Amino acid sequence: MSDEEDMVGYKQQPGKLPFSRPGSGGKDQFSDLQDENMIPESQGGKQSQPWGTHRHDELITSSSIGHRTPLIDARYKVTGQAQYGDDIRLNNELIGKILRSPHHFARIKSIDTSAAEALEGVIAIATGSDASNSFGVLPVTKDEHALAVSLVRHVGDLVAAVAAEDEATALQAVQLIEVEYEILDSIHDMKDGLEDSENPIHDRGKYHIGEANIQKRVFQEFGEVDKMIENANASHHSNWTFRGVNHGFTEPHATVANWDPRGRLTIYTPQQVPHYLHRSLADVLEIPMHQINVYRTFVGGGFGGKSDPFPHEMCAAILSRKSGRPVRITFDREEVFLTNRGRHPSHIEMNLHADSQGRLCGVETDALIDGGAFASFGHVTTYYNGVLHTAPYEIGAFHYTGARVWTNKPASGAMRGHGAVNSRCAFEVGLDDLSDKLQVDPMTFRLANLLPPLSATITGFRITSTGMRECLEKVRKASSWDERFRQLPLGHGIGVGCGFFISGSGLPIHWDPNKFPHATVHLKIDMDGGVTIHTGAAEIGQGSDTVVSQSVAEVLGLPLDMIRVRSKETDTAPVDLGSYSSRVTFMNANAAISAAMKIRQELIDATANITGADPKKIVLGDRRIYDKRNPAVGVSYLEALHKAQEDRGALVASGAYRTPPMGKAHKGAAAGLAPAYSFSAYVAEVKVDVETGQTSVINVWAAHDCGKALNPLAVEGQIIGSCHMGLGQVLSEEMVYGRTGHLLNGNLLDYKIPTVHEMPKVFPIIVESNDPEGPFGAKEAGEGPLLPILPAVCNAVYDAIGVRVDELPITPDRMHRSIEKLCRSQGVTDPLELKTPTLKLSPLQESLANRADEHEKRDIARRNNDDIEPYHNGALFGFTATLPPEEQSDDWKVSVMPSQEYIDNPRLAGTAWKHIERRHRGDDT
Amino acid sequence: MRMPPFELLMPTSLEQALTLAGDFIAAGEEFDWIAGGTDLIPNYKWHLNSKAHVISLAKVAEMSELSSTHIGGMVRLHDLAESNITHPLLKEAAGSIASVMIRRSGTVGGNICLDTRCYWFNQTEDWRESIEWCHKCECGTDADCRVIANQNTLCVATYQADLAPAFLCLNATIHLASSKGKREMLLSDFFELDGMTRNVLQPGELVTHITLPSESSELTGCYHKLTLRDSWDFPEAGIAAAWKLSGEQISTLKIASTGLESIPRVHDDEVAAVLPDWSGKESIESLSEALRKSIKPVNNTGLKPNYRRKMVKVLARRCLNQILHK
Repeated sequence: MSDEEDMVGYKQQPGKLPFSRPGSGGKDQFSDLQDENMIPESQGGKQSQPWGTHRHDELITSSSIGHRTPLIDARYKVTGQAQYGDDIRLNNELIGKILRSPHHFARIKSIDTSAAEALEGVIAIATGSDASNSFGVLPVTKDEHALAVSLVRHVGDLVAAVAAEDEATALQAVQLIEVEYEILDSIHDMKDGLEDSENPIHDRGKYHIGEANIQKRVFQEFGEVDKMIENANASHHSNWTFRGVNHGFTEPHATVANWDPRGRLTIYTPQQVPHYLHRSLADVLEIPMHQINVYRTFVGGGFGGKSDPFPHEMCAAILSRKSGRPVRITFDREEVFLTNRGRHPSHIEMNLHADSQGRLCGVETDALIDGGAFASFGHVTTYYNGVLHTAPYEIGAFHYTGARVWTNKPASGAMRGHGAVNSRCAFEVGLDDLSDKLQVDPMTFRLANLLPPLSATITGFRITSTGMRECLEKVRKASSWDERFRQLPLGHGIGVGCGFFISGSGLPIHWDPNKFPHATVHLKIDMDGGVTIHTGAAEIGQGSDTVVSQSVAEVLGLPLDMIRVRSKETDTAPVDLGSYSSRVTFMNANAAISAAMKIRQELIDATANITGADPKKIVLGDRRIYDKRNPAVGVSYLEALHKAQEDRGALVASGAYRTPPMGKAHKGAAAGLAPAYSFSAYVAEVKVDVETGQTSVINVWAAHDCGKALNPLAVEGQIIGSCHMGLGQVLSEEMVYGRTGHLLNGNLLDYKIPTVHEMPKVFPIIVESNDPEGPFGAKEAGEGPLLPILPAVCNAVYDAIGVRVDELPITPDRMHRSIEKLCRSQGVTDPLELKTPTLKLSPLQESLANRADEHEKRDIARRNNDDIEPYHNGALFGFTATLPPEEQSDDWKVSVMPSQEYIDNPRLAGTAWKHIERRHRGDDT
Repeated sequence: MRMPPFELLMPTSLEQALTLAGDFIAAGEEFDWIAGGTDLIPNYKWHLNSKAHVISLAKVAEMSELSSTHIGGMVRLHDLAESNITHPLLKEAAGSIASVMIRRSGTVGGNICLDTRCYWFNQTEDWRESIEWCHKCECGTDADCRVIANQNTLCVATYQADLAPAFLCLNATIHLASSKGKREMLLSDFFELDGMTRNVLQPGELVTHITLPSESSELTGCYHKLTLRDSWDFPEAGIAAAWKLSGEQISTLKIASTGLESIPRVHDDEVAAVLPDWSGKESIESLSEALRKSIKPVNNTGLKPNYRRKMVKVLARRCLNQILHK
């Protein structure tokens, strides 16, 4: 089509160029009608709103939200044009290599770099003395250095770094560095970390807990703790062992650092938390933050494994400063394992108690978690192992003791489902066992104990929306649960598991005094009509660039091709805290919406100005802005935009999001506090080969409440991906440490990530509970969907063969051992003759079913009522719902310090409280 | 991960390859053959006994011949698995190896000559240095074996190739060549019990092809293996069986195992003990038990040895049950 043809019907005016076609501005020159099916009922559309209205309803233009949308950067990836860390090639680059410790724990007596320096092609060498400032992702636990300052704390800890003209020279130089070590006694068993040590792995001075290797300890008691045992009608006791797992992301760490001629540092790196790296670089390099530009490259998978500022990033910067040239460091897979930050190996004791009415009258959890050599996110992980299983159920009493210890292993850290995964697995398996003991259906048991929407959990978390009930009901139906549970033949079973996860963290990691927002988005629109979004949110493959684009496109009624995102550089992007805690969609989209609303108002005002229509009645459609009652009265998007630009040029707007004040006041109350929570329920169907112990998962029905699926395609991808990742931990993945304490399987052949063969058919089911605080009602979908798969598989294994799993992964050798044990207890020699569990319902079943029905009515009434009374955990146990139970009864404990009585007889992690923090023990260290 | 530098030679005929090899031997220099490279390259990347010279067989066309009884050393595993003239037992074993991509590259000769594997050996150079090396790659240190402590005479690394037990059950003959001449032997005589020597190949010698006796086509067989995942993984235990029935009677029965010890093994003695009084199910049970007892895996792979040993019985029973179902 020629330009002239294109312009038919459009009156050419001076100053208006052909690109400004009426009603267009996108690839398609004609604007579409609004899709009535995507417009909420509250706005006169046809989209039903069973969960009530939302404050963003009036912003819906039907252009983008809710559409299955391929990620906007997908084509870069599938055509090989995406630049990951190692794809950044700057002129005159040097290759950096790292000398790593061969010892688990040692004091560095001397480092002689002279031979390496003398090697031709070696340009710079760095050691710990080049940067002695410590750093860490959490400001309370800065215990890492760019390079070991005096101690190496695990095999693979960084000792020295070399920059050379090429990789071979750098590797040769690394081998020429002579290091003299004094070897210290290392600890590998996390239980040893609880004991006093001659040489603790770190020294926290007056804050150090005795002489032990305890990095963090938590004690929490809420509710009628003293009564839980006497109230119990059935109890579950288990002691779990969880092995450490690694994220197994595709792209190994890689970074390029470059000091430009003006003396500014740019670091190119695949990072989930560019802002925290930004801060840490400033600390370590002792330069102001404004002298640093953190450039986030494409990220080839993170899953929490790229959410710390890393020593190698510091090393690249130091080597670049010394050499005056760009330095690139790329890891081997083994170095990725040695950097780790994967899920903590854990010992978890889980005791659950149910009373005669089938209520969860007590939860007692004790979690000892193995932090490895550094703190990383561990402070938070220690809390999360407890507090993140205080919902979705109403609980009569909660007791939690947690401890994280240092050991001489690569550091554990945050990994998808951070801190919640292991204890959730133990908890949900416990619920299955309790149901068995109460002789009730585990689905009904769960449905009869759920917290309602707009309620407070036992630790004071604010539940806004919850679709837990719908998730359970949908998987129950989809999996034909009632016809199959406890009715399948030996070796074939189904099981259910639920999940609950934060959608963003209520408090930012750095508590700045100035009420900084968690997320900020800038918009810029110039005469071409395209919208540039500036955001610091780290696109790590989860689709954050897409969701922020969709949010803006939706509010402004624009097609996605008119939106472009600049999210890579801290020089141009407003601060965003990063891609962790499942916070990005929730916070960044909220920030984007608030920025887009400002632009929207300007466009409406301009339209009113041109047409004379009442601005209150003006709406945005697809690239057309018009009077809702009389759509003929209106202007094209570009006309409105150009009008708004008169005398000022490009429109710019900034929007921000900060969480509202919430939660209780006890120490640690902020941990796990989130502006909203996601819920999920899965049913897994497994087959167990009773002779070999091999477990395979065949089908998974996976229902997840993400509030509102802004992009259903991406939500389903997250659900399926989460199933795969969780299956790895439940079936085959573990970091295996041998008798010498060395990691035996730091490679992707021996570290067993499930292949496509092991992948079951996953049926994703999206539940949309329309969260009042979420952007267009949305909550997270990135981490929560991982949680239920582990217990669902474990419970299905029990249904299949009657083995109660308490150790992950369920490798065939472990399962075989359990089967042999079961055979002995049943007195059979051939496992094919094993008897599988049966379900004989007790009278309690009927009363639970009735309670579930009543609660369903209660929940529907609450979610559709804007003017409801508060509901505090405890109401199910007879307390007045509208008041916190601690204000009603002295028996209702809120305690974060153990009594002497407890300390005298603690559980495993609880022994951490036997030590006295140095500042409280009277010595002057 | 960088391989140490080496010289790659690309002869275009077997004769040329053997001459090149002979020249290196004469000059006292070490070299490796490379066929598909799926075993050698990862080992080189980890600096495991790498050599300064590598002779590639990729262009030696005469080693790629494939018929029902003649299988060239350079026949790709994928081609063996996909060919209609391959013996069904070989086809089953070949099709179960690693993954399609690896089978496309890996060869029959390479699989038979697969290096043995061990947790203390298949690691990076830094890692091995950190445990002060091991016997199989001692780097001049006289390091002890890390599995069976305090000795450095025997290597117990595990042989984990899938094809060997299938070929063994079919009574295959292996054909070797070097610049000094050719020789052939039963495949069962090819392997030598040590994780380092592994087989009778002399320096400069290679596997040109494997032949099957014509009567092997009368044998029915099956192969069962134990892996954690259905793809990629090396077998932690593998049992192949082949048999011939004359009416209700078994006239021939061969069983071989892999993935359990330093070499694959034929279990003629255990078979001979039960075959004369073959009674179906009971015989299968006692033979499977005898196999379990005869095999002694060590702790150097992913799954624990006592479990792998128990699984020998299960795998054997599953193989042999096929006889009943025929």
